[in-house]
Amino acid sequence: MKKFFVFIIKILLVIVLSSVVLDYLYTIIYLKSSKRNKIEYVLSSKDKKFDVVFMGSSRTQNHMVAKLFNDKGISAFNFGMSGSKLDETALLLKLMLERNYKIKNIILDVDINLNSNSKSAGTRALYMPYLHRSETISNHYKTHVSFNKLFYIPFYRYIENDTKIGFREVFFSLVNKKSNALDNFGYFPLKGESKNMSYDLSDYSPKQNFAYEEIKAICKKNNIHLIAIAMPMCEQSESDTYFNSIKSIYPEVYNYENKITDNNCFSSCGHMNVKGATLFTEILLNDFIQNKFQK
Amino acid sequence: MFFNSLHFAIFLPIVFLLYWFMPNKSKTSQNIILILASYYFYSCWDYRFLFLLIFSTLLDYFSAIQIENSKTQTHRKFWLWLCVSINIGFLGIFKYYNFFIASFTDLLNSVGFHANPLFLKVILPVGISFYTFHGLSYIIDIYYNRIKAEKNFVDYSLFVSYFPLLVAGPIERATHLLPQLKSKREFNFEKAKEGIYQILWGLVKKVVIADTCANYANEIFNNYNSMNSLSLILGAVYFAFQIYGDFSGYSDIALGTSKLFGIDLLKNFNYPYFSRDIAEFWRRWHISLTTWFRDYLYIPLGGSKGSKWLKVRNTFIIFLVSGFWHGANWTFIVWGFINALYFLPLLLSNRNRNNIDEFHLGFNFSSLRILLNIVLTFGITCFAWIFFRAKTIHDAISYIKRMFTDLYFAPQYFNFERYNYEIIIMILLFVLVEWNNRHKIEPLSGKYSWLKLSLCIVAIITLGIFTDYKNFIYFQF
Repeated sequence: MKKFFVFIIKILLVIVLSSVVLDYLYTIIYLKSSKRNKIEYVLSSKDKKFDVVFMGSSRTQNHMVAKLFNDKGISAFNFGMSGSKLDETALLLKLMLERNYKIKNIILDVDINLNSNSKSAGTRALYMPYLHRSETISNHYKTHVSFNKLFYIPFYRYIENDTKIGFREVFFSLVNKKSNALDNFGYFPLKGESKNMSYDLSDYSPKQNFAYEEIKAICKKNNIHLIAIAMPMCEQSESDTYFNSIKSIYPEVYNYENKITDNNCFSSCGHMNVKGATLFTEILLNDFIQNKFQK
Repeated sequence: MFFNSLHFAIFLPIVFLLYWFMPNKSKTSQNIILILASYYFYSCWDYRFLFLLIFSTLLDYFSAIQIENSKTQTHRKFWLWLCVSINIGFLGIFKYYNFFIASFTDLLNSVGFHANPLFLKVILPVGISFYTFHGLSYIIDIYYNRIKAEKNFVDYSLFVSYFPLLVAGPIERATHLLPQLKSKREFNFEKAKEGIYQILWGLVKKVVIADTCANYANEIFNNYNSMNSLSLILGAVYFAFQIYGDFSGYSDIALGTSKLFGIDLLKNFNYPYFSRDIAEFWRRWHISLTTWFRDYLYIPLGGSKGSKWLKVRNTFIIFLVSGFWHGANWTFIVWGFINALYFLPLLLSNRNRNNIDEFHLGFNFSSLRILLNIVLTFGITCFAWIFFRAKTIHDAISYIKRMFTDLYFAPQYFNFERYNYEIIIMILLFVLVEWNNRHKIEPLSGKYSWLKLSLCIVAIITLGIFTDYKNFIYFQF
């Protein structure tokens, strides 16, 4: 039996050692990578200056054609991330400021994200490689229910988020495979038109959002002009009640929901295609140039 | 409590320590600990079905004694059929009632009668097909005087409920397992080490191979209408590796776990995808079920004795029943039927026991022929798996139709952001490892065992699927 216990202890040692070594290797690879997603991009850059930064979820990523702003001499970048909620957006903003970004305006898509204070596990996963390397990130997740496991158990954060930062992703980072996340100044165009679109917003109601409040406070503190907007959805969403009630909680939110209604501008009910995104960005750009957004 | 869960990782060491380190260790105390552990293990699924398990144990235990004590053949028969009927009755109610009712209603509707069937809202007790067959083999063996009825209720209870095999087999035989439970087990380091190797290799098969293949197979089978021919062919291959990795992985963990307690279970898989014909495949796949059907159904029906017609009849019966055993759905029955069709030419030409011996390959035509036969057998097995995996017969036929009519063979990028080539590399590596170790129980033992063990652990940690958890497929049977 003694032999067996020694055997088991050796196996446990192999497990612990493998976990520590793999954790170290994965983290090093991610720290050296800068082309796979917007978080890596922010963490590997410094002292960037932007007139306008777009932030939010996939609706930002797919709707804000940053090039149109840049063509007019307004330096802009789309930092919208698919799946991201306002909590992860707030963290990205904190990281930007930590990296000494100079931002004049943030255009933030808040609309559907005001329905709840939920957080995105998928986007959170992308922050996990830097948990030990960035105090901003570790502080942000200190209250997370699995924080101790994620922070103290070697490699646990990679196992817990294997689909996002597992072997496949680390391999692509290692071979320096570029993703399309940073093309077109961060804008990801959607193609095609969808038929039979629907998006049921009947159970949605805007609520006070702590992450949004945090973003507002950060912007105020750093003298950044925050422009919170609600963006278009397809006609079938019957979203007027929801979007109108946003104003009752956050009067500062600009409602653009009905600016684009034609269904051939949508790739899916919540996401515009290239045509819709271009039309919408032009409207927004025009309003921006005409100083319609009050400070 | 799954074998690849944290719960089991805590449960197993506790049971291990209690089992080997209790004071005044005896055969009875060892068995009692394993029974209590097994009942706890089973109640983690659903404690209500624990009563069903205990009832089944009591029924088989007392029936066996009654059969043995019966003075007349009529009495023996009475107790045998009473026990068999109740066991099959439970299986029928829990597993097949709704299927029969639905099929009967469809039949009535098709001839113009309208019926309002009464469906039961029942949950299938996990492992019912396994422990029912377990008990049946015992009762039938008693009836045919192959073994003596077990008088010790503790030993018999453990034979039925032993947790490593309780929910998904292997389906044990009293002749093999009971004698091991009748004596005190002494710890054997080599056996326990072998058990750990087998558990680790089983985990690789489950969390690395099966669960990764499952992502691809699910994507392809659930969206077969938008898949091209190449993806549909690969979908069947992925499912073949999913079900093999899943079930043989489970069996490896079960056998390995049991070795930690000094108990050997029946081997359930023997590298089935390296079979040279379908008869050999069935001698290597789910061996405990195949031999069960052979011994308790095929041979009593006459087996391969008698006229050719009888042999054909018996072959179809055994494959159809085997298909139906897997689940209450026509897809499983058709899967069984297809396998019977594959088997038929071998049976009729008396070649079904041609490939019993081990093969060794060299650089000659005979080896090439063996390899081609292996590929062909694997191909037709994959084809049959389509019916096993599809939700309905209609889906399976549409899948196959599209596979042969789309004729577009470009690699597809899937909705879950993966390409085919990523998984193909993994499968090829897995096949290579299995091929090189096909004469062993698992590939970890032998030379460089620590290196291989470390690689296994790294593979489980880095390539295992942990977030998108998938049940063991055979738990549903």
